[in-house]
Amino acid sequence: MAGGGRPLFGEQTRFMLLLITPAALLLTLFQVVPIAIGANASFRDWALYNPKKTWVGLAHYQAVLSDPEFLWVVLPNTFIFMILSVAGALVLGLALALLLNRPFAGQKLVQTVLLVPLMVAPVIAAIMMRWMFNDQFGIVNAVLEGLGLDGQPWLVERWTAFGVIVMTDIWLWTPWYTLLLLAGLQSLPREPFEAAAIDGTSPWRVFTHLTLPMLRSVIVVCVVIRAIDAFRTFDIVWTLTGGGPGRSTELFSLYAYVLAFLTLDFGRGSAAAIIGGLIILVVGAVLYRVVDRIARA
Amino acid sequence: MAMVKEPLLFARLPLNARRVLFGLVLFAICFLFAFPVLWLILTSLRPESGVYYVHRGTEFTLGNFIDVFQDDRVIEAFANSALIATLATFFSLLVTVSSGYMLSRFQGPASRTWFGTIYVFRCVPYISWVLPLYFVAQSWGLYDTYLGLLLPHIAVHICFFSWLMKGFFDGIDPSMEHAALIDGCTRWGAFLRVALPSAIPAIAALGVLCWLFTWNEFLFALILTGNKVPMITVVMAQFVTEMGLRWNLMAATAVLALVPAFLLALFGQKYVIRGLRI
Repeated sequence: MAGGGRPLFGEQTRFMLLLITPAALLLTLFQVVPIAIGANASFRDWALYNPKKTWVGLAHYQAVLSDPEFLWVVLPNTFIFMILSVAGALVLGLALALLLNRPFAGQKLVQTVLLVPLMVAPVIAAIMMRWMFNDQFGIVNAVLEGLGLDGQPWLVERWTAFGVIVMTDIWLWTPWYTLLLLAGLQSLPREPFEAAAIDGTSPWRVFTHLTLPMLRSVIVVCVVIRAIDAFRTFDIVWTLTGGGPGRSTELFSLYAYVLAFLTLDFGRGSAAAIIGGLIILVVGAVLYRVVDRIARA
Repeated sequence: MAMVKEPLLFARLPLNARRVLFGLVLFAICFLFAFPVLWLILTSLRPESGVYYVHRGTEFTLGNFIDVFQDDRVIEAFANSALIATLATFFSLLVTVSSGYMLSRFQGPASRTWFGTIYVFRCVPYISWVLPLYFVAQSWGLYDTYLGLLLPHIAVHICFFSWLMKGFFDGIDPSMEHAALIDGCTRWGAFLRVALPSAIPAIAALGVLCWLFTWNEFLFALILTGNKVPMITVVMAQFVTEMGLRWNLMAATAVLALVPAFLLALFGQKYVIRGLRI
């Protein structure tokens, strides 16, 4: 497919480099340089109110890795959140994509409605959920009480608050899966499906033996990209619970942010951010292999 | 395998019953999906006295929107968000279209290295580079300025969008460009006049996505701006804490923030669906 191998090599190299220069420059200035500074800070005594910048070696890393809050609350939270959010949105998004892939009256309208969360800023989504799940005035408790059930103090208890966060995230990101999977479904060849219809294959078998394998690459891309994004979720947690009650719903990004900007310990915050970055690099690579293998089987 | 039964059961129902059932399920799904937004709109229309019992009472008012429009900070935040989102979209398309084109049309070490770099940096969590970015911005005098917010917003999309753009250009047959080159067109000419026009749907899709991303972005705005460049997402998040009890005003602001995104997504939908076939 590529256009390499044509003549004009010297000119070609210059052209090639010119094409990526602006992108490479911006990437260097605003990602590579900050990461280097962060890495440097993570080895130093760098409190925001008193940046002595003396070398402390691995002390910050040790402090983060031996912080029970990080090990037993933040890390489990982050992984549970990642798994529930990705799995939930994938299943829901796939179901909706399959639904939208067949023609019916009002298909366009339904499609537009289902894409609504895509337009909603995570911050707005979190505000809405916070309002709906408000323990005194929220509609959720009003409906529950109307049904004769007890209202719950949703955002005041750890696991219900966590549930609301996960739900908000699934609501926000399902349309992404729907969009990408729908685009994938629409570009599948028709012949195998027609053949299956003639053979009278059951819809479930068509789904597991034809649709799913053919959507493999799209699903892999969706899962890997979204898992990485879910790992770094910040805004909905910040707005919904602020990490509370206590610090029980903190995710990794929030933990690093709190260390750097509320505890004002930039060195330790950077160390936490780098530990998280390393974890997600490993998780991303492993995930890519696992999902790819499952999809292949 | 229990699932096998279900479609069969569904298929045995008479056609009318099937239609009604399908319609009901569709309606329920749509209702659940749209509910939070509908609820927000309803809240924004309630007067202060009725806001705590949105589900009761029938008084409605547009007063909340008028109140919001009188708040200079909110207006300024809207203008800033729109400006940054538009500029960021323009420049990030400029930068990523060419980078994606390079990734698609050239093979060899340079292209492989660039692709590897992009892939790795796509995985780095925002927080790992946004925390120190605060220092970078301060030492370069970019903290709390338009430029200081705009440049990171362009940088953040480079990896993902270059990747998507590569996919789009991979789907466009390069033989037209070869023909143009043979006819004496320069490489830039082949890129700008031949390849670029056929990538317009994909570029439109990315443009819509980029604008929505930037408009909705929160963490950069939170860390890189103070009082001089308020952004709408940060102003809204502050509402929750500072105006925690004035849900009607907050809902009105949120509804206003939804409007441009909604319009854009409504008109851009078909490009996005067409453009995102990976």
